[in-house]
Amino acid sequence: MTPLNTALFVLIAPLASAALIMLFLGRRGAAASAVSVVTAALVACGALSLAFGGGRFTAAWEWLRFGSFAISIGFKFDDLAALMLSVVGVIGLCVHVYSLGYMSDDAGKARYFGGLSIFMFSMIGIVLADNLFMMFIFWDLVGFSSYFLINHWRERKSASDAAKKAFIVNRVGDFGFLLGIILCYRANGTVNLSALGADHAVYSRLIPLLLFCGAVGKSAQLPLQVWLPDAMEGPTPVSALIHAATMVAAGIYMLCRINVLMVPEAQSIITWVGTLTALYAALCAVTQRDIKKVLAYSTLSQLGYMVAAFGMGSVGAAMFHLTTHAFFKALLFLGAGSVILGCHHEQDIFRMGGLRTRMPVTFWTFTVAVAAIVGLPGLAGFFSKDAILVLALESNRAVFAVLAFTAILTAFYMLRLWKIVFLGAPHGESAQHAHDGGISLTAPLVLLAALSAVGGYWRAYPRAFEGVFSQIPEAQGATHAIVLAASIIVLVIGAGTALAFYATDGRDALEGKSRSVFGFLVALRTSFDTAYDYYVAEIQQRAAMVFNFIDVVGLAGVVVRGLAGATEFVGFGARALHTGRLNNYVYWFLGGVAVLWAFAAGVL
Amino acid sequence: MSAPAFDPLLISVAAPLAVALAIALGLPKRWAVKLAYAGFAVPALMALGVWWQFGSAAKETHGYAFLSRYSTGLDQFGIGLKLGLNGISLPLFVLAGLVGFAAGLYAIQSKAERMKTYLLLLLAMHAGLMGTFASVDVFFFYFFHEMALIPTFIMVGIWGGRDRTYAAMMMTIYLTLGATLSLVGLIAIYAKSGASSFDLMVLRDTLASRPLGEVTQEHIFGLLLFGFGILVSLWPFHSWAPLGYGAAPSSAAMLHAGVLKKFGLYGLLQIALPLLPLGAAHWSHTLAVVAAVGNVLAIGLVTMAQRDLKQMVGYSSVMHMGYAFLGIAAGSVLGAGGVVMLMVAHGLSVALLFLLSTSIYHRTRTFDMEKMGGLAQHAPVLAGLFVAATFASAGLPGFANFWGELPIFVALWNFSHVLTVTALTGTVISAIYGLRAAARVFFGPQSTAFAQVAAANPPSDIGWGEKLPALVLIATLLFVGIWPKSFSAAINRALTNTPAAMVASR
Repeated sequence: MTPLNTALFVLIAPLASAALIMLFLGRRGAAASAVSVVTAALVACGALSLAFGGGRFTAAWEWLRFGSFAISIGFKFDDLAALMLSVVGVIGLCVHVYSLGYMSDDAGKARYFGGLSIFMFSMIGIVLADNLFMMFIFWDLVGFSSYFLINHWRERKSASDAAKKAFIVNRVGDFGFLLGIILCYRANGTVNLSALGADHAVYSRLIPLLLFCGAVGKSAQLPLQVWLPDAMEGPTPVSALIHAATMVAAGIYMLCRINVLMVPEAQSIITWVGTLTALYAALCAVTQRDIKKVLAYSTLSQLGYMVAAFGMGSVGAAMFHLTTHAFFKALLFLGAGSVILGCHHEQDIFRMGGLRTRMPVTFWTFTVAVAAIVGLPGLAGFFSKDAILVLALESNRAVFAVLAFTAILTAFYMLRLWKIVFLGAPHGESAQHAHDGGISLTAPLVLLAALSAVGGYWRAYPRAFEGVFSQIPEAQGATHAIVLAASIIVLVIGAGTALAFYATDGRDALEGKSRSVFGFLVALRTSFDTAYDYYVAEIQQRAAMVFNFIDVVGLAGVVVRGLAGATEFVGFGARALHTGRLNNYVYWFLGGVAVLWAFAAGVL
Repeated sequence: MSAPAFDPLLISVAAPLAVALAIALGLPKRWAVKLAYAGFAVPALMALGVWWQFGSAAKETHGYAFLSRYSTGLDQFGIGLKLGLNGISLPLFVLAGLVGFAAGLYAIQSKAERMKTYLLLLLAMHAGLMGTFASVDVFFFYFFHEMALIPTFIMVGIWGGRDRTYAAMMMTIYLTLGATLSLVGLIAIYAKSGASSFDLMVLRDTLASRPLGEVTQEHIFGLLLFGFGILVSLWPFHSWAPLGYGAAPSSAAMLHAGVLKKFGLYGLLQIALPLLPLGAAHWSHTLAVVAAVGNVLAIGLVTMAQRDLKQMVGYSSVMHMGYAFLGIAAGSVLGAGGVVMLMVAHGLSVALLFLLSTSIYHRTRTFDMEKMGGLAQHAPVLAGLFVAATFASAGLPGFANFWGELPIFVALWNFSHVLTVTALTGTVISAIYGLRAAARVFFGPQSTAFAQVAAANPPSDIGWGEKLPALVLIATLLFVGIWPKSFSAAINRALTNTPAAMVASR
């Protein structure tokens, strides 16, 4: 197959799988899961062969045209797309295989796997898109897939609310995104990624910021971060694939795609949004009891790092961290899923404990992931986080300070989680009898653990991603020493404090020892939701009610009465209508026709 | 021009009319229902046939294919039954065929009282709709519209739900006023053009060489804008729509909201814009502001406040018509192209939503969304279809609606930045009320009211009688969504070939 055909196959196969499942396999969970997993395997093979096969190409077909405005469906397959496609393919396959075990008893299994296939289709569309309109189309479709999968357990109100919230919040971001695309089209005359340039004067600052709104929604940056923690209502493999490794990272990928449009003013705003999100989310993670929500806030925080890295001008650092994060965060979520399944759907970490011996595979792989995310030297996260810190030290000291402090928090909340879940004694019946799952659950964990361990040695990668990784900033001399020292000190402080501070007694030590700090952090976490809830209930809904009142009482009342009066005035039988004799209308119509004839014949 | 031996357009008008006539002459019910299938299916098949042939196999004159002319004995007034399709009418003709088929199927399985009369009226309405969009003659364009409109009033009045008398009265008053104003406008064009013909092709040629004066154009366009505008529920003349649709029996609502309502927009695009470009330019700003602030924003908010499912769908339809008016106001090929796509897409999706709302009602025994919840557990297929229809209506890519909204937004930016931003807020608003409705009806736990209903009458999922018409609609939405060129190529050709008119109004 030519690379182009392979790309087409990789894009279309998941759509075909989803269509097959929705149309014919709706009640056959086993067959549906087989179709979906085989497709994911083929897609992963196709993606890797495309990435490492060396073919880089562009292609486009016209999709719709009105006058001079045309939208095409096209591929831009460069090193950046190759990297992202590989990540999506590999993580996608891991999650599909894992889902076989995780969702084996679920009544809505077919629907679930159909949703996964739809997601793969939409996500690959974003990766391959050669223009912003096409990217927006698939962008909206991943939003739909996300809605669909969060809503999987749809009899739960919480799941239904979370799905709704995720889609609507993303639509708010997309409002800016679409406006940005339209402006970009009007300013440049094109939205083709290869033809874009930053030389348009009028909207040069506005366009990148509007496009960034899309990333703020999809990658859950401040102030639109509220949907991601709620999205944990979806099945855990979905959280791993969509809400940790790939879809939420699409915002960063999109930014890297439109890098040429960036101007310094926009970049500094982007940097600070990312930096503050990283800090804010890390603070929120500290007080969480729900294992998935700790990881969700951690994801937010790490996405903040990537956005900040992009803002400071390095596509290389942002994509590098995106890649390593995809490995270890997917692993963390799948590990969490394994724990949740082992503990019979218990998600409260303070009812776990002592899982080290009961779930050895989960424990060791999870440990690798924790070591990777906190930046233990030698593991994947260490290299990518270092690259971002080097960048920050060279470009903005304040950002460096915040990100370094966030790294302390990262080590703190991750070690807290690790210690409470795995060490000590079990706190609950379910944790007592926990055990590792079958091969479909453990195999993806092991593979991802291996990637989390060695994924940071990018120089050992084949040259396929050269175009991206050659842009990773490297520290020289003093900077190198400072960053290395800083990241080790940060790690020791954060990890050491957590290990010393938290006991494995089934209680939150922070809540017990320092209520004021704990209360502050909880308030910080809930502040956005409180504000938005207030807006929705008190402002938006009231406005809707007021407009409704005006519409029903004002317009319908006054205008109808006015019209009725007017018709009476011209002598037309409004009263006849009140009696319901509608055929009067017919006579009137015939009268009109007669007038028309008279008019046409020149009588009038 | 003579009549061809096989005229798909005439057949699609005549077939439902003939069946209606047969029923009126006292066909027994058993036969009436069987024949009604044919009455609804033949136009749909003809529509698919002309869609397939359009642009390649069919011969064209002035952008029109399938032309035929039948004498009516009114030739001295310039009136003749001239049928034909161009790139703008083709999509609407197909829309009418498919929605009519779906509405017909749904009506046949609905077990309505006085079924024969119901089918008779629906068939007459269907014939009128096919005729409206197939007419090249402005007189018959209007005549067929009336033929479809009158049965609507009667159906609301007889088979309507609560408030049917009031709703029928309100619809009649509003729509009669709208139709009258537009009739006056059309007659004015006829009289002032000096063409002595209602033939749109003749009118176009005449007015292209001898355009009307600017003031005349402004006056006539104003008449047409308000006349057609009322028919399309232009704010603030929209009050009939949610009320009327709320009361209308489902098949009538499907046909009216889905197809007949497009008459006004179609008239503006096909007649008013090309013939009165200066008038359009004069009115475009007023229209755009009213549509963006009134239809999209204000009605969008009103839609969010609805508890009644059918009313909500009715209001959402008023809101989406705002986009169509904005596309017309923007006036470019791009904007107008978006409007045609949106008309088709909206027609299909709103018909689907009315159909599904009625199916929901049969299971919950209420339209009040507060008294539903958790229906997905009983009716997963119904839930899937409703969610799909909701996303289509909210403009999700992959459904045809997206290809209507996006070009309109892009076109609007050159017309007015502020209004573009206003219109874009509609994308968020549609998502809010749509997903809220889906969640209230289908997801989460059952409300106590619905739990009682469900205990007394365990709801079943939808059967083929309801599923088939729904699938026809959703398949078309997806087909056009995935392959927009199936319509856009024809639309684009028709719009770019319209002589200078569209450009002048920019």
